[in-house]
Amino acid sequence: MTERLHFDVVVIGAGTAGLAAATRAAQDGARVAVLAKGIGSTHLAPGTIDVLGYRSEPITELAPAIADLPADHPYSAIRELVIDDALSWFERTVEQGRLPGYRYVGDRRANRLHPTALGALRPSALVPETMAGFEHVGDGPVVIVGVSCLRDFHQDPCAANLRAAGLDARAVTVSPELERADMNALGIARHLDDVDWRSRFCATVRPHIGGATAVGLPAMLGLNDPHRVLMDLQHQLGCWVFEIPTVPPSVPGMRLYEILAGALRRAGGRLVLGAEVVAHARAEDKVTEVSTRAAGRDLSYSADWFVHAGGGFASGAIELDSHWAAHDRVLDLPLTGLPEPDGQRFSSTYLDRQPMVTPVSRSTVSFERRGSPTSSSRARHCRVRRRGRSCQRRGSHSPAPATLRSRSNSVLAERRRLREPCRSGRA
Amino acid sequence: MTRTADLLVIGGGATGVGVAWDATLRGLSVILVERKDLAEGTSGRFHGLLHSGGRYAVKDPNAARECVAENRIVRRVAADCVEDTGGLFVTTPHDDPAFADRLVAGCAATGVDCEEIDPGEALRREPRLNPGISRAFQVPDANIDVWKTVWAMTRGARGRGAEILPYHDVVAIRHDGAAVSGARVRDVRTGEEREIEAAVTVNATGAWAGRVASLAGIDGVRILPGRGIMVALGHRVLNTVVNRCQMPTDGDIIVPIRTVSVVGTTDQNTDNPDDETVPQQEIDAMLTEGEKLVPGLRDGRALRVWAGVRPLFEDAKADDSSSRDVTRAHALLDHAQRDDVDRFVTITGGKLTTFRLMAQDTVDAVCRKLGVERACTTDTEPLPGSESGENYRLGARLARKEAALVSEQMICECELVPLAKLKDALNDTASTVLDDIRRRLRLAMGPCQGGFCIYRAAGVMHELDHLDASQANASLRDFLQERWKDLWPVLYGDQLR
Repeated sequence: MTERLHFDVVVIGAGTAGLAAATRAAQDGARVAVLAKGIGSTHLAPGTIDVLGYRSEPITELAPAIADLPADHPYSAIRELVIDDALSWFERTVEQGRLPGYRYVGDRRANRLHPTALGALRPSALVPETMAGFEHVGDGPVVIVGVSCLRDFHQDPCAANLRAAGLDARAVTVSPELERADMNALGIARHLDDVDWRSRFCATVRPHIGGATAVGLPAMLGLNDPHRVLMDLQHQLGCWVFEIPTVPPSVPGMRLYEILAGALRRAGGRLVLGAEVVAHARAEDKVTEVSTRAAGRDLSYSADWFVHAGGGFASGAIELDSHWAAHDRVLDLPLTGLPEPDGQRFSSTYLDRQPMVTPVSRSTVSFERRGSPTSSSRARHCRVRRRGRSCQRRGSHSPAPATLRSRSNSVLAERRRLREPCRSGRA
Repeated sequence: MTRTADLLVIGGGATGVGVAWDATLRGLSVILVERKDLAEGTSGRFHGLLHSGGRYAVKDPNAARECVAENRIVRRVAADCVEDTGGLFVTTPHDDPAFADRLVAGCAATGVDCEEIDPGEALRREPRLNPGISRAFQVPDANIDVWKTVWAMTRGARGRGAEILPYHDVVAIRHDGAAVSGARVRDVRTGEEREIEAAVTVNATGAWAGRVASLAGIDGVRILPGRGIMVALGHRVLNTVVNRCQMPTDGDIIVPIRTVSVVGTTDQNTDNPDDETVPQQEIDAMLTEGEKLVPGLRDGRALRVWAGVRPLFEDAKADDSSSRDVTRAHALLDHAQRDDVDRFVTITGGKLTTFRLMAQDTVDAVCRKLGVERACTTDTEPLPGSESGENYRLGARLARKEAALVSEQMICECELVPLAKLKDALNDTASTVLDDIRRRLRLAMGPCQGGFCIYRAAGVMHELDHLDASQANASLRDFLQERWKDLWPVLYGDQLR
């Protein structure tokens, strides 16, 4: 027998987008549930907030770049003010979040550059404070410190590429005491949360500092108390410390997930993982109910609003089958922006812009002005559907700005994964 | 600087390296040159099947007999490179039911060890097979890791003094119209050229044999390159090689090898042996055919697709008697008899399963030219690493990893490549091409297709001072492009994630 539950808002997807949308709705007093097949890509992504990284060139000032976007870009529909509001909300949420003292840094109007694991410089709007120390690198020499048992970060190419960018960088390796020869960043982050282990780690790094202004470490500066880890390392090493993203698992991304999931729970929202949406019901053109298959029983959720934050190809929410037809596997909404059936789907050159990937993800979101989800019954391909009450009646915050802002982590920000380093001719 | 040897081998595929291994076992001095990496051409682009002979039993009995004999030898001497998966022929609802009896008769006539089993038993062994199969036959098919085989022979040949030189292109063949005396070769990485003087030169360049022969002024070595595509699936959808019980055609075989399964193959004539085109309709046809063997295959994850080029030999001097006594499966051309050009031999045609036999026939001919009489021993001498005679098992790497769980760092989780092994391979090859390392270690060949391990491998290469940062970046870029080439035509379903 299927059990039925009702919420004001049901959000599908537990990535940054879904969690932020759900949290804002819950903070506005709505009864909210997040249904997700699993956690989102937070654990894979570097944990930075990238609003708009590139157009043809890397972007510094955000406002003019956003003003210059084509009219069909979702940012054009919600405008800069909403983006700024969403970023402030995000900063507040992190500061009031469950990691004491931990915050994101950035002035919301301009991108800052931060190195990738290969030492290429990548623009982000906000970065965790654990990465922010990189801004002091121009003032003097920097030491990039690798850990011998961590295969997911290689200090030498990182330092070499930073040197190629004109910085005074050198690389060293340390071998702190660890129980196995093979650790990932998460394992070391857990050790660094421990004050005694942390001191012993600092003792292995200290002899290599010389006169360096800053020390760059793989992104592993604690999972539960990164603020204290950062302060303590800077105190013990006597210089600025910053972390650099690694091959996944991403510790900064996991912190971000913990913060957002915690904020959702504190606001009274419910988070259901392992709950893949397998079916849905509609009345006329409105979604009325979704069904999940979880933990051996079927559950149905009805709601006034459904927010589709399931992601695109990477999450599996949108599938491209072997006959090259794309489907929304969650709500079966129509998709736009796909290449023509016989058109070019992919370029044979890896670093080219790929016709298939970008348009689908981009065009699956459609917005009205002020960030309200599209409410016209004629606009069938919006990803946020409503039923019953209008969004204005529920208060000033609709889920959409949060959704949009967090989507900015990838698609809207034109993040280019491996293209970023390569296009500048460096790593 | 001129180097001299008894034998110069042109071509570093399984046959060429097999010739070098065979010749060094017979005490000859050998230099081998390959324009790219070893086994980068046809050898490295097949599906991995070590034929039982079943596939040729009806269509080409001579080829079947060769396969029967070579299968028995290769699984013994290259034991560590061969996984004894066994093979099945199954009659699906799409196949002519009458073919099964022809298969049985063909196998009996050619010596293929073929036994009919109950279709229910076949489905019990391979539950993903089409439940509609009406007959099933088991044969001793197996899979063979060609890169491991080629590198084992290389180690063996080098240990006996041979010089095996990948990335050396032949610029010119030294000949005076009556005889060949070696070649001028160029190191494509440094641009340096050198002369190699050899008593006999072997052209083991497969689909490229016509081009190389023409460098010696010999015309009419006509190779019709037959391009076939293969699709690797992200899992072992089967643990047994499975063939459709019909005349060999497109997309009718699935070979499980290491962590993946390979659906093969197509056959399109092409003018260009370097043709790596993968037409979309061929992929679609393969998936449609594969679906008949394993329903649901389309919904599975296709990992990558690639094309290989068969060297189908068609002698323009067909009336010449010299090629009559060689089997139809491969062609050994003694250019002294065929073209009045002495000390030059071409070996082409054939298939991977018979590479050892091709090498044996070739070195026999070389020995005759040199006037030495030494018997071939590659049928009894195990390759380095295969001395125990134990076949490869899928779980072997995992067992090693388990034994060194806390003491060893893993670079590639899919194929279980530890750091120490990567460092050994890097020091051994001195190659700065990540794709070469892929072939040596299977690094990045598994389900993640390099997503995690390639950054790690590039970092290790850089730390070992094999290349500076800009070279490391370039190597990474080249690798990603190389992978992309095989990825994008099958970028659907879970592979797009």
